Amino acid sequence: MALTGLDIFKQLPKTNCKDCGSPTCLAFAMAMANGKASLDMCPHATEAAKENLGAATAPPVRTVKVGVGEQEIVMGDETVLFRHDKTFYHPTAIAIQIPDTLSGAELDAKIEKVNGLVMDRVGQKIAIDMVAIVNASGDAATFKAAVEAVAAKANFALLLAADVAGLEAAVPAVAAKKPLLHAATAENWEKVVALAKANNCPVVVKGNGLDDTAALVEKVAAQYKELVIDFGNTQQAKTLAEMVNARRLAIKKKFRPFGYPMLACTIATDAKEEIVEAATYVAKYASIVCMKVDEKPLLLPLMAWRMNIYTDPQKPMTVESKNVYEIGAVGPDSPVYVCTNFALTYFAVEGEVVASKIPGYIVAVDTDGASVLTAWAAGKFVAEPIAEFVKNIGIMDKVNHNTIVIPGYVAIISGKLKEKSGYEVVVGPQEAAGIPAFAKARYPHLMK
Amino acid sequence: MILIGERINGMFKDIGKAVREHDPKPLQEWAVKQKEGGAHYLDVNTGPNSEDQTVDLPWMVKTVMEVSDLPLAIDTTDYDAMEAALIAYGKPGALINSIGCEQEKIDRVFPMAAKYQADVVCLCISKSGIPKSAEERVALAMEFVANAEVYGLQPDNLFIDPIILPVNVAQEHAVEALETIRQIKLLSNPAPLTTIGLSNVSQKTPHRPLLNRTFAVMAMTAGLDSAILDANDDMMVDAIASARVILNKDIYCDSYAKVFRQR
Repeated sequence: MALTGLDIFKQLPKTNCKDCGSPTCLAFAMAMANGKASLDMCPHATEAAKENLGAATAPPVRTVKVGVGEQEIVMGDETVLFRHDKTFYHPTAIAIQIPDTLSGAELDAKIEKVNGLVMDRVGQKIAIDMVAIVNASGDAATFKAAVEAVAAKANFALLLAADVAGLEAAVPAVAAKKPLLHAATAENWEKVVALAKANNCPVVVKGNGLDDTAALVEKVAAQYKELVIDFGNTQQAKTLAEMVNARRLAIKKKFRPFGYPMLACTIATDAKEEIVEAATYVAKYASIVCMKVDEKPLLLPLMAWRMNIYTDPQKPMTVESKNVYEIGAVGPDSPVYVCTNFALTYFAVEGEVVASKIPGYIVAVDTDGASVLTAWAAGKFVAEPIAEFVKNIGIMDKVNHNTIVIPGYVAIISGKLKEKSGYEVVVGPQEAAGIPAFAKARYPHLMK
Repeated sequence: MILIGERINGMFKDIGKAVREHDPKPLQEWAVKQKEGGAHYLDVNTGPNSEDQTVDLPWMVKTVMEVSDLPLAIDTTDYDAMEAALIAYGKPGALINSIGCEQEKIDRVFPMAAKYQADVVCLCISKSGIPKSAEERVALAMEFVANAEVYGLQPDNLFIDPIILPVNVAQEHAVEALETIRQIKLLSNPAPLTTIGLSNVSQKTPHRPLLNRTFAVMAMTAGLDSAILDANDDMMVDAIASARVILNKDIYCDSYAKVFRQR
């Protein structure tokens, strides 16, 4: 939210001197609120006013980066509380913990396992983003050795969680990888922040609840601004409420102490509960979720969830057009349905082909995510592109017939499509809901 | 968009007579009818012929409350009668209608608003009259907002009225009023609410409903939150319901005009 006239007016000298060109300070404040004037036009504005107004026009959540090169994670810079208002920009980073009590072959095995937490989903690579080395041993030298061992082999950005001694021992050795330091607390923040500053690393400020954390961030931010906030998760529901309130204050009220990315460490002990807890934080504004689970089958739904939450609602969802979709136990007799790659269109067709109980192939023509009629109107779902697409994808080599089924709403293209492609073009029902009846009438011999 | 039904006003002959005779029927009929039309508030005004507003206005409030649970906009510049009416109203959420931008009025009315948890219609009029430019009107709006802070009211307890004058005689005012509405929404966070005496735009013009509803839609685009209007002008209410949908304030459905009236 932009600055209001009242916010600006309060910072002005109230001289009504007209030196800015506006008749009154209030008029000038309204001109600024409208974006038609800037503060440097006022020769009498104080330094404090400049700083306050400058800070207020900064983005509501600061951008903070961890890691370097391909491992770099960008956090923060979010502007909305609900994704449907615009979109969420930077997906939550998932950090997997490695305790420094592991060493030698055990540690190597763990790193290898964590490096393997990379999966494919709907044609995209999804993976964890960070490795969190935790100073569970309490010993600085052990921590340093573990951090160096992990840094040498891990494929992901680093989070170092230790007390002052541990961090002081380990950070200089891996500073080039720009790790995130965890954590500056009320007791140790001066030393930890000095270390972060000296090594140019971002640092987590860990408080205890909203008030305490805000006070601590305010102190730290006077010296260093590459910060991530941790409310010191002790209860899941409380942490959820804290993150929601903090993000609201940052975006709606420009409350600077909460204008940073947020980190939450899961506290659930059961692995499945931990995933559910992490999913909550992914949905509610966490930039990093630090967790213990390292099993692919458990992490895949969490990563799928993150992918879904962070898609842009303003862009149409599409399905992959590269593949022919095989629904059920298809064979050479199975029908071939042609639709567009708009996800809503495709899944409507897919659902009805499943419901028809007659196995079939679906070809999702690449229409840049437009629906059937939209794509038709835009010339993307007409005879030539469809003929070419169906030919290139090779589906007709898999079947022993020469027939494709097209949506009833584009019946008008059937003649030209037949001419261009040489296929038998059958006009299906207008709505996908008609597919089961259509299929049963046309292919009774294929019913299972 | 908050619709304040204007009809229970002693300026209308039937209501004027009813107020003189303390006959509840016309008031109650209009209360029900305006709610059906889509009103969210009911304005009550004794009209000029009341001999004692401190008696008539509380009577009107109680009479309307017998048949309607809609909040009331209590319309008078006699602030003793206002207080009597607020006591008769007896719950939070009334709307004090209205005050101009004069410090003694603010000092009298804002504490009353805080005490009875009422909102206040604030007119952009000063002792020197109705300002022409948007800038001067916004300056008056700012006075109200600054004073609200002093008296413990929130900016959104204020319904600021930029004042609209008839287009046939004061044509250049309408565009300034629209700009004022736009700027009032930039004044503070939360922003004050805005309102307007809509029927004023068309005084003594032909085709009044057309001017009224066209201005309503334009003002809503500028950020208008409420209006004092004829809630039984169906074309007007339909236009407002349509504007709400187009401005993405209400989720679209095929029966949006009906749904708007039912809330």
